Formats: sequence, structure tokens, C-alpha cells
Amino acid sequence: MSTTGRESQAQPATGDREIVISRVIDAPRELVFEAFTDVRHLSQWWGPEGFTTTTRSFEFRVGSEWDFVMHGPDGTDYSEWISWTEIVPSERIAMLHGEYRGDPNAFESVLTFEPDGEATRIEMLTVFPTKELRDEAIERHGAIEGGQQTLGNLAAYLAEMVRKGAES
Amino acid sequence: MFGIMARAATTSDVFNAIAEPRRREILALLRTGERPVTEITEKLGISQPGASKHLRVLREVGLVRDRKAGRQRLYDLDAGGLQLVHEWTGGFEQFWNESFDRLDAYVQDLKKERQEE
Repeated sequence: MSTTGRESQAQPATGDREIVISRVIDAPRELVFEAFTDVRHLSQWWGPEGFTTTTRSFEFRVGSEWDFVMHGPDGTDYSEWISWTEIVPSERIAMLHGEYRGDPNAFESVLTFEPDGEATRIEMLTVFPTKELRDEAIERHGAIEGGQQTLGNLAAYLAEMVRKGAES
Repeated sequence: MFGIMARAATTSDVFNAIAEPRRREILALLRTGERPVTEITEKLGISQPGASKHLRVLREVGLVRDRKAGRQRLYDLDAGGLQLVHEWTGGFEQFWNESFDRLDAYVQDLKKERQEE
């Protein structure tokens, strides 16, 4: 796991191509899980502040997909495609995330829902096929955010610094 | 919260390092290529001990690396440390952190609704 790998110099094999994001939500995990299972729920919260979604098709079943468009606050549309690869009710959801069906750059995220007292801890582990694809996803999501975030300029600046640093 | 805590512990040094304006000036200068400490001192108008101290901090958190070239030591950007800052400010993590903020608010509403039923 990158959370521990990052603490030491010796990173695990996937350390440089994974991202872990976690959050504790004050609700039972059945309810938190439910918010992922229906487009009626997903459309209420998916994406950063100010984003909305239009769903082309949705079915929450292993092998099925969610085909949708994400609309940014500045009017930019982003094509999104998600296919569920594993569903364990209230415990785990694995999904393949790309821009369209068959996207060769699609990457897999595994969401786990763990009880934490009365609350639920969600952890999302995303492992990218390569470090380059991970960096690309960061860039793309950074670009999506960039239009409306005050940190956007700083992000672009840092992206350039990272690139320059990597070249030398 | 383990994930966030563990990450915070490892990245806070980088963020502390760039909180200092002089160090950001040094990083900005090094964008154009590696330089010896004397040049950093001249261009930014700071003392050599001051520059050396900032460079040491930047090197310790992985933002800057150095190499010996003859009698002088050259300083350069280190992409490794910058990557952490870059991820935090822009990309994927922010996207998901904001989505999870909205999920949290939505689930709280859902919880209230269910309790009222």
C-alpha cells in the first residue's frame, strides 16, 4: 500500500502507480454503499463542487456499465465510462474507469467500506497500469479541476516544474 | 483515517519547505537549470549561509538534489518531492476529495430522510 510505502524509501512494486484516498463518513456502511449503487444517488454527488452529470446508461451489476457525461461549471463536458468489475454488497466495489468503452487507458479502482464505530471508512485504491498513465490521470483530473479552482494555476505551475525536473 | 494520517506525516515536510518564500524563489530559479550556490546567492540577493540553509532543507524533503562538479556543488530540482505537491494541488486526489465531500453531505441527507420515515 502506498500509504505505508511512501513513508519509507523502499516503495512497493506498485507504489509509484497507485493512489489511495480515504474518508470517514458518519453513517452506517449500508447507507454509504447504497449511495454508489443507483444513478439517482450518484448524480447527486459525483464529481467536484459545481459539477453535474448526464447519464446515457446505467446498470449496477458486475460487467455492466455507467456511461455518462460530466459537465464542468465552466460548461466543459467530459465523457466518462465506468464498468463494475466486482460488487460485494456493503463491503467492496471494484470498477474500471475510462473515458469511453474499451478505453485502453482505463484504470481500476477498488472501493472498500469498513465500519468505524458508528461511522464508515471508505478507502479508494487506484492502481494504474503504468506510472505514465497514473501521471496522465492526475493531469487530466487536474485539468478538469483547473478551470474553476483557485489552485489551478499553482497546479499548472507545479506540473511544469515536475516535467522540467523529470527531464533533467 | 490511517491513509490520510500516514500521508500527512510524510508530506508535511515538503509543504513546510515551500511555505517559506525564499525557498520558493530558489525553486523558481532552479526551473531554468542547475546552479551553484554562489549564483543562487547573487541572483536572489541572499547571504551564502542563508542560501545553504534553505538548500539543505529543500534537499532533505526531496525538492532539490545536488551533485559535485569539480570544486563546486550544483543544485537542481528534484521531481520526486514536487510530485507530491503537484498531486495535492491539482489532480486526482482533489477530484475525489471533493466528490467525497459531496457524498458525505448527500449521505447525511439520506440518513435524515430514512430516520424520518
